[in-house]
Parts: sequence; C-alpha cells; structure tokens
Amino acid sequence: MKSPRLLSIAVALTFLLPSRAADSPSPTTANDLASRLSALRQDGSSYVRLRMEINGATKETLQVQIKERRTKSSSEVVYQVLFPKERKGESVLLRKLGNHAATGSLFAPPDTVRPIDDLKAPLLGSDLSYEDAIDNFFAWDQQSIVGAEEVEGVNCQILESKPGKDEHSTYGSVRSWIDVHRLVPLRIEKYDTSRKLLRRIDTTRIVAEGGRHIPSDLKVTGARPDSSTLLDGSRISHNVTYTDHDFTIEGLKQLTPPRKSAD
Amino acid sequence: MTFFTVVARGLMRRPVRTGLTIVGIAIGIAAVVALVGISRGFETSWQTGMKSRGTDVVVSNMGRGLTPKPFSAKALEHIAPLPHVAEICALLVDVISVENADMMIVSARQWGGFCWKNLKIVSGRLPKDGAERAVVLGKTAAEVLGKKVGDTLQLETEELPVVGIVEGGAVVEDGSVILSLPLLQEITGDQGKINVIDLRATPGTSKEELTRLCEQINGLVPEARAVVAGEHIRDSQAYRMIRAMSWSTSLLAVVVGVLGVMNTMLMTIFERTQEICVLLAIGWKRSRIARMVLWESALLGFLGGVGGVLIGVVGVKLIVTSPAIRGLLEPDLNPQLLMISVAIAVGVGVFSGIYPAWRSSRFMPSHALHY
Repeated sequence: MKSPRLLSIAVALTFLLPSRAADSPSPTTANDLASRLSALRQDGSSYVRLRMEINGATKETLQVQIKERRTKSSSEVVYQVLFPKERKGESVLLRKLGNHAATGSLFAPPDTVRPIDDLKAPLLGSDLSYEDAIDNFFAWDQQSIVGAEEVEGVNCQILESKPGKDEHSTYGSVRSWIDVHRLVPLRIEKYDTSRKLLRRIDTTRIVAEGGRHIPSDLKVTGARPDSSTLLDGSRISHNVTYTDHDFTIEGLKQLTPPRKSAD
Repeated sequence: MTFFTVVARGLMRRPVRTGLTIVGIAIGIAAVVALVGISRGFETSWQTGMKSRGTDVVVSNMGRGLTPKPFSAKALEHIAPLPHVAEICALLVDVISVENADMMIVSARQWGGFCWKNLKIVSGRLPKDGAERAVVLGKTAAEVLGKKVGDTLQLETEELPVVGIVEGGAVVEDGSVILSLPLLQEITGDQGKINVIDLRATPGTSKEELTRLCEQINGLVPEARAVVAGEHIRDSQAYRMIRAMSWSTSLLAVVVGVLGVMNTMLMTIFERTQEICVLLAIGWKRSRIARMVLWESALLGFLGGVGGVLIGVVGVKLIVTSPAIRGLLEPDLNPQLLMISVAIAVGVGVFSGIYPAWRSSRFMPSHALHY
C-alpha cells in the first residue's frame, strides 16, 4: 500500500504548503501609526453617501449624506437623512474643537432644533453613537501596540488608544486592528473604563480612492442586545467645497448636494 | 451480460455511496455553472445594453469599480468632429443604493442623444426636455422600487417625479433609473463631468476603421479609453477580479470532485477485488478491467455533471430574481457553457478513475482465493 500513502502525502502537501510566505506588517511605533491614521482622518472636507441598515427589533434602512470638514484642530460633521420620506431632512450637526468635548444639535423637520445632551445616544437610531461619528481616538495622547493578530487573512497590529487627562471621551480605551500596509482599521473595539466591550466595528469592504484605502462598508455590533447596523458608503469624495453655512443650524435645514472641486 | 451492464452494476452495488458521489460532483459543477454564468452574464448584460442603444464604440475609464471614473465633458468636443463618427451621446452612469434598493443603475443621458431612442414607453412619457426635473424607470427598476407613473423617487437630495416606465431591450436598460444628464450632474455635484461616451459610427464603417477611430480617440482623450462596444467591461479591474474568482472557486470545486470520485472508485475496486480477479481468471484482459473502471468513473462524472447543470441553472435563476441584484444582470447560461460543464464533470470522472483503473488492472487472478 505504498502508492495510496504517497498519494495522501501529496494531497496533504498541496493543501498545507502556502503559495507564498505571508506578508508581515512593517515595524512601526504606536505613536507613528496613530498619527498617520489620525492625519488620514483629519484630512479636510469630504462627502459620503451612506446606506444605513439598522437591524434591531425592527429593520430600518436609511439613506444618509455625510458632510465632513476636519482639520487637526477641529472637526465638523453633518449627517442628513435623505430617505425614507417620513424621516427626510432629519439632521445631526456635531462639532469638536481641539480637546474640548464634542457638542451637537439635532434638527427634525419642519422646525424642531434641540441640542444633543448625551453623546452616548444612538446616531439616527443606529448602533453608532454621536461620539463615534465625531471623535478621533487616533489623536488621543496614549497609544500603544498591544499585539498582532490576523483579521480576515490580513496581519494586523493591534493599536490601543486611551484618552489623556485633558481629553473627553465616554470610552476608557479603544483597540483597533490595523492593516498597516493599507493603513485601515479592519476591526475596532471600544471599551468602558472597566474594560467592558461597548461596541465593535468590523470593516467589511475597503475601496481605493485617490491613492488611499478607505473602509466603505462597516458592521457595528454590541451597542444593544440583538442589534446591528450595516453601513454601506458610496460616492466617497474628498476636497469637496463647503461653506461655513453648511455647518450651521440653518445649513442643517437644507438638503443640498456636495459641490465638488474641479479636478 | 454486456460490458456496460457490468459497469452499471458496479455503480449500483452501493447506491447510497454512488448517489452521494454524484451529489458531490453535482454541487461542484453547479458552482461552476453559477459562478461562470453570472460573471459572463455581467459582461453579456452590458454588451446587450450597448447593442440595444446601437453603440459601436464606448469611451470610458473602467478603473477598479463597477462603474467608470468621471472625466470632463470637454472630451465630446474632441470626438464629435472625427471621421466615421455619426452620433455621440454622453452619459453619467452610477450604481448606487436608491431608496430601499441595495443597488440600482442610475443612467443620466445627454438630452436628444441617440441613447434615448431605444427606450420604448410602457406607460407615461419621456421627460419633455433636458431641463425637466423628472425620471423614467426601466420596467424592472419600477418593479424593484415599487413605483408607477405619478410616484416620486428620492434620488440623492432630490425628490423627482416618475413620468414614465420604459423598456430598453436589455436587462441593464430595464433595471435603470434614467434621467437627463444635467439633472444628475446637478444633484450629485458633478457639473461638467461624464463617465461614458457612447459613439455610433457612420454606416459602412469597417472593423479596422473602428479600431483606428478608437486609437485616434485614445490620443485625443487620454483620461478615458475608447474600445469597441462590449469590450470596455473587460477592461474593468472589478470584472477581471470577479472572473478570476469565479474560475478559481470553480477549480477548487473540481479538485474536490476529483478527490471524491477517486475515493469512491478506490473503495469500489478494493471491495470488488474478488470479482475483478474472477473476471481476469475467465479471460478479461487487464486493459478491459481498466476500461471498466474508467467507464464507471466517467459515468459518475456524467451523471454528476448533468445534475450539476440542472442545479446550477435553477440556482442562478433564483439568484438573479433576488432583490439585491434584480435588474443588474442576466446570467449567460449558453449551451456552450452547459456542455463544457458536463464535459468537465466527465473529465473529472475519467481523471479520477485513472489511478483506481491502474490499481485494478494490476490485480492477480490468484488474489480471488484470498477472499
């Protein structure tokens, strides 16, 4: 019975031998990695069209447009619901200046405007919170690499971010599994101060746009029992022209398309 | 008892094992049919769409996405005066989520261009002019979105009335939201941008002249690429990736099929050692024994292949009616693909039977006494 044994060895080798050695992430320091990720996030003005599928007690699909204006010292974000009809025009404005706590306002047509008191509250009923939409934990003071792990076949560095004394966050720490070649987080886990997992965000699709990689589809879980939100981003554009008016309460009341810069 | 009766009996001896092996091959072949049929269907759907619009040359920049990258509409000024150009029509095409639909083709067309002429009105009307803020829906798009004439459609920030339902002669046309080019440019902030130019050549233009025209356009419009209609989709990296993935998954399914059939045939010959040795003792040649085993494995492959084609065809028909991709593509399940799939299954059977056939042909008649 030599031949069957040889055959089984050949078959086993076919499946076990990797086609090429797995890529190992380039070595980098935590602060360097975090500052590169932060710079990508605080990169000026951008526009995203988002399909938000909220799978909770009931299933709801929202079409949303996101306008963002981010610099190193400030962030302004507007979320506006385009569909369904009964929620059309519902908008959220979030602002964060330096290390100050984020502030925000809600607009519900025809003319209800109210401030956002609790940044932990759900953003448009999804599994994301307002804080998730505005905060940039890659800019926090304390960054450390706490390990490496493979996510969906990609070797990732696990970056742990903790807010400094002067930084305001409802989270105690955030762990991100970073694909250091494409500089995108493939998984993010957010914990409270007692290390209880509050929210997990998985990247399910990455698109290449303008020479960089951007997570376009995400799945958010853990915020509420038996609930998840799928985020499907499209029409992602950078260097979009906005006016200050776009990031005011009056601007929130108007559903206007982006004005893209001429290439 | 004929040779083929022996072959058939060999398989019927263990009907459950034979049945499970056939199911295994069938699933593999169904994967081949479904994946290749869908990836080729993607190409065919766009080709049919081009044909229905009467397009001879497409100017676009197929990057990594499923839709081409936008470029300046000024390209039209360079292309229109070229020889052999009869008509041109600029488009801005996108595949986006619209209302409750996951993905929908939104096709904005230069008003008055020939790209409107293939649309047959099923109900309602076409927009009155390029300035009317209205859309028409392909009949499949209307079904998917649950819209009729008089309803409104939320497209980006605009709520637009649906003024007509149309039939375009191709799945991608019937699955589209169609509107005038300036309107989509305005509501997406893409003023002055297009991503496709459909070109109709003058009658009698030869294939060589079309190729030369493409080369001329490529020289004048470096931000896009002109190709003969239908070929542009092959330039898409996304399409190439889909095709590569479908073939590699199919290959994996075939490898699993080979191992399954080989396992079955090896077990069969070891169980039938006595029978095979008796056949050798009564004068069967070794080559005949080997042929018997090969026929058995080929028959397994054939039955699995036919079953796989049936499962694959039914599966694909179900997939394309799912709300997520309805109206985006029609599968290409041409007879050639189905025959190739069955041939692959038979090939899998024969290939898997080679080693068991060789083993069985080396039995000695005296081995029969050991059982």
